[in-house]
Amino acid sequence: MSAKHNTPALKHHFEDLGQQHACERLGIWMFLATEILFFGGIFGAYTVYRYLYPHEFEVASSHLNRTIATINTIFLITSSLTMTLAIRAAKLGNKGELIRWLFVTAALATAFMVMKGFEYAEDFHEHYVPGRMFQDELKSARDEIAGKSEEDAKKHQFKPERQKWAKELAVQVNHKHVDPGKVQLFLCFYYIMTAIHGIHIIVGIGCILWVAWEAWRGTIPPENYSTVEVVSLYWHLVDAIWLFLMPLLYLTGAGYKH
Amino acid sequence: MNTMGIPPFIPELASEHALRFEYLFWYITITSGVVGLALYAALLYFCVVYRRGVNPGPTPRILGSLRLELAWTVIPAFVFLSYFAIGVYVFNKAAHPPEDSMEVFIIGKQWMWKAQYPGGQRVIIGGNPRNMTEAERNSIGKLVIPAGRPVKFTMISEDVIHSFGIPAFRQKMDVLPGRYTTMWQHPTKTGEYHLYCDQFCGTWHSLMVGKVKVVNGAEFDSWLMGHQPFQGSDNAVDGSLAHEGRQLFLKLQCINCHSATPTGKAPVLEGLWGTRVPLKGGGGEWADDQYIIESIRKPRGKVVDGWEGVMPAYDESQVTNEELNALVAYIRSLKKGQTPDNTQRFPAPNGAPTDRTQSPPPPKKGN
Amino acid sequence: MSIAAPQGAPAAAPVPPEPGPLPVNYLNNGHSIWSWLFTVDHKRIGILYLVSISIFFVAGGIAAGIVRLNLLQSDGAIVSEDAYNRAFTAHGVMMLFFFLIPAVPAVFGNFFIPMMIGTKDLAFPKLNLASWYVFMLGAALAIWSVLVGGIDTGWTLYPPYSTRASQSNVIPGVLGVFISGFSSIMTGLNIMVTIHKMRAPGMTWSRLPLFVWSLYATSLIQLLATPVVAITLVLLMVERAWGVGIFDPSLGGDPLLFQHMFWFYSHPAVYIMILPGMGVISEVLTCFSRKNIFGYHAVAWSSMGIAVVGFLLWAHHMFVAGISFYAALLFSLLSMLVAVPSAIKVFNWTATLYRGSISFQAPMLFSIGFVVLFIIGGLTGLYLATLGTDIHLHDTYFVVAHFHFVMVGGMVMGYFAGLHYWWPKMTGRMYSDFWSRFAACVIVVGFFFTFIPQFVIGYHGMPRRYPNYPQEFQFFNVMSTAGAGVLGVGYLMPAVYLTLSLINGKRATANPWSATGLEWVSQSPPPIFNFDESKMPVVVCGPYEYSLGVDQMGRTLPDAPTGAPAELHEGTAADGHGPTSPAKQES
Repeated sequence: MSAKHNTPALKHHFEDLGQQHACERLGIWMFLATEILFFGGIFGAYTVYRYLYPHEFEVASSHLNRTIATINTIFLITSSLTMTLAIRAAKLGNKGELIRWLFVTAALATAFMVMKGFEYAEDFHEHYVPGRMFQDELKSARDEIAGKSEEDAKKHQFKPERQKWAKELAVQVNHKHVDPGKVQLFLCFYYIMTAIHGIHIIVGIGCILWVAWEAWRGTIPPENYSTVEVVSLYWHLVDAIWLFLMPLLYLTGAGYKH
Repeated sequence: MNTMGIPPFIPELASEHALRFEYLFWYITITSGVVGLALYAALLYFCVVYRRGVNPGPTPRILGSLRLELAWTVIPAFVFLSYFAIGVYVFNKAAHPPEDSMEVFIIGKQWMWKAQYPGGQRVIIGGNPRNMTEAERNSIGKLVIPAGRPVKFTMISEDVIHSFGIPAFRQKMDVLPGRYTTMWQHPTKTGEYHLYCDQFCGTWHSLMVGKVKVVNGAEFDSWLMGHQPFQGSDNAVDGSLAHEGRQLFLKLQCINCHSATPTGKAPVLEGLWGTRVPLKGGGGEWADDQYIIESIRKPRGKVVDGWEGVMPAYDESQVTNEELNALVAYIRSLKKGQTPDNTQRFPAPNGAPTDRTQSPPPPKKGN
Repeated sequence: MSIAAPQGAPAAAPVPPEPGPLPVNYLNNGHSIWSWLFTVDHKRIGILYLVSISIFFVAGGIAAGIVRLNLLQSDGAIVSEDAYNRAFTAHGVMMLFFFLIPAVPAVFGNFFIPMMIGTKDLAFPKLNLASWYVFMLGAALAIWSVLVGGIDTGWTLYPPYSTRASQSNVIPGVLGVFISGFSSIMTGLNIMVTIHKMRAPGMTWSRLPLFVWSLYATSLIQLLATPVVAITLVLLMVERAWGVGIFDPSLGGDPLLFQHMFWFYSHPAVYIMILPGMGVISEVLTCFSRKNIFGYHAVAWSSMGIAVVGFLLWAHHMFVAGISFYAALLFSLLSMLVAVPSAIKVFNWTATLYRGSISFQAPMLFSIGFVVLFIIGGLTGLYLATLGTDIHLHDTYFVVAHFHFVMVGGMVMGYFAGLHYWWPKMTGRMYSDFWSRFAACVIVVGFFFTFIPQFVIGYHGMPRRYPNYPQEFQFFNVMSTAGAGVLGVGYLMPAVYLTLSLINGKRATANPWSATGLEWVSQSPPPIFNFDESKMPVVVCGPYEYSLGVDQMGRTLPDAPTGAPAELHEGTAADGHGPTSPAKQES
């Protein structure tokens, strides 16, 4: 009880800082467990359908933008490093460096979201979105090559407004029996998974900036840096999930030859 | 039975499985009932004898008894395992139909059942009588099955999940869209029994009910004959499900690739059913109903070794579930040397069957 | 006076005799609406939950009333089929997601876990408050979806019906359930961390009250199962909104995948509902029989056993759904395993009464009712875990009756036992002894009349969710509805006498039942930080030392009430807490 009321960082209902840190650490680990099961559910569903429709998933994945995804992966891995450097700074009580590394982390995360935004914009622009847009786009491409043999269809000069994916998919749907419904199914998983992950990133940015604010106010002394640690654990999980999303969504179709 | 009826103590028992169920049910009831009543007796005894007025305390400090606790851990566990074991025995019998079962296709649909017999006869069961005309109400049929013969129900749904349950037979099975489920029964007692949809399926779920009529064998045969007579003895009898499948086989131009002689495009289907098919990329698959359906719906999924996956997929807009049944029945019946000639595609065969109408009178054999 | 109090804190200061203002406590510390809406006090949040779930209990009860009344006639007595379908769905969704799941963990768990383990608050008070807001947001969406037309899918939400065929407001309702799931996760996380890290000195794991153990097991399930249903519901909403085939087979999906994912949560979820009830029962039975629990470790570990094994048997809801033969065997076997720890609990509770000194106040009557009904509920579960019988009984009223025996006969009885047991502590008031005992009896009798007939018609094959049924089932349906009427009256009575007790109930002493738990150490209602801050509790012994007559701090217990109404409220000064005034007498 000695530490009681000595430091403003100690919340009223804890005996001492040790107990408070232990609670915070255990809490975040439990939260991470729920997160893993949350994503585990959708990874499970993805696995089932990937197993059922491997070909369609490969085709659908091949039209995603792997360049952006690779850059984003680099951003996130780097941000994990900078987050860890922030903890080190917090532990050493180096306030300036702590804030600096937190800002770098937040900047990398923001860069990730900006790139992700570009990617979504590109997908929308190309109408590579499940639902009406996808169906209309594919239908107009398929109409153009209706009745043609496979060889002719491949050589066909599509109208300039046709999207690249639609041209390739139209030939495949008409002749190689790719089921467009399953392509949309993949896209659904793509959007749900990346959107949920994106929400996590945004929450993470908020948390990091809040920690930076707290650090600036001086409420994160070196003996009580568990806030930084908690946020960093969360941040590492978000990174780790991306490291699963990347192969599942983008690399699946990387080797696919049209 | 009065207006506010009371059912009998034990519901009607109309099949071999129902009897097995009852034995198991009462075994569980009696064993667990003894335990339950013993517990009630103990509770009552303690509450009376040790009530505070009689026993104001202090109380002895009893912390437990390892021996007693082990006893009431291990003994119930063995009793539960006996339930499990007998349950598996009953379930195993119920899950595996005998070879010689007569197969009846059941199609569930919001909110009625359609039954198709091997001879092609159809019965509509259930539906909402309030939305029907008098004539339609009268046309609602019963699922007629013979006593003393095993009957296998192969079931599929056209829309949402239903469940096909007959309490007098003590069994039910969910009816799923997009895949077949089966159950079988060996009715033992003639009479009329309830047929329910047990899985919630929408507004008129509770009216997706009907009657099962179990008749004796001779009566059943004459019912079948009267309803729609058998003709000829070929594998695909006119009017039968397989015959319908044969016509579809021609109409859908399956015959162009799956002809009697290997054309290089697709395998011959004669004698296929029940054999093991080697698959491209290794492995194999038994050519059963499920495989045939998969091969029509998703032909590129499991391609036969030595062939290219070039067959187009047929979704529900092209081949309905009902038609799929017919195609399966046909492929199943297809024996060596019976693949029709490509020229038999003309004249065009009769159109796909529609609900609630009898098939047109069968054309002369060998058209 | 006290025996062997190592920390030398026998709490000798007498409380000033009443009438007089109550000492500062969590209730009179601020009366504005904001002092409630922005409170981070776990006790006030518990009260917020109590008020909220009572509203949903009433709403779900009204829906149940519509269902039961409609079944008076074999072709629907009062409403159309569509309305009936919406009513039973509303009943299921309200009762399960907005009453049973939060009932004990969020009300009594919130309120009493910190007190029972001797700390000032839950580990994360703000998260706790957030969980209530999240819960209310989810509940508001669900209520809204009912008000604008309802959902007709059943609480199980099976696709493709729910995603394609249903014409009702599936998305807002599902979104409501989805959101409220996070509140469940937050509560579970909070309770689990608190139990791990914030126990009072001396409060070792084997000195934890069994209520704490059961909530620990519950929290484990809440943490690990709820996220799976969350993502499942997201997929369901996406499928319904955009028409993609995640679960709809006509679009390439697999409806059984939904069932697997749904039951992966929803089966453990029934243990979220029943385990806390079991915890309450362990507290009450020991207190009112003045006995140690029989086999503390067996009861504690059976809770954990149920929680862990409970994750492994979800597919016993799917024996006739089209899963493989061998999967059915495996899940049936595992389901038998979970029956063992439940059986252990019942045997141990019964043995606890042996040679006790049993009195029958309302909490005890509810608890005995729990045991009596849970025995039937548990044993009938065996029919459904056994493959050979389940293939007939599945989806019939037998399942409905079994489920209600466990959930209503078990959990709701446990909830009422806890409510009556802890009401004096929570509010500082005693309720009517006579009426509460009477209500407990009415509820048990009404319950039997409501649900025993449903076993019979279920065995005879009457499917669930049927507004139209064959004539021969009418007698039992009428009987069941009549029983439901009695049950409804039984549930109304506590609403009346508990409310009245707030106005003119006698002041409760600190420990009116002479119980051993730490929650009874401090005044009723408890002070803001649960205990006198200068004398935080130090635990010296296990939770149920009634035969030694000491509480967990080793202090002598006040005399136990004999059961005669007048004696209940006099209190004794044995532990230093003053007697209450013989204020407004009421019989």
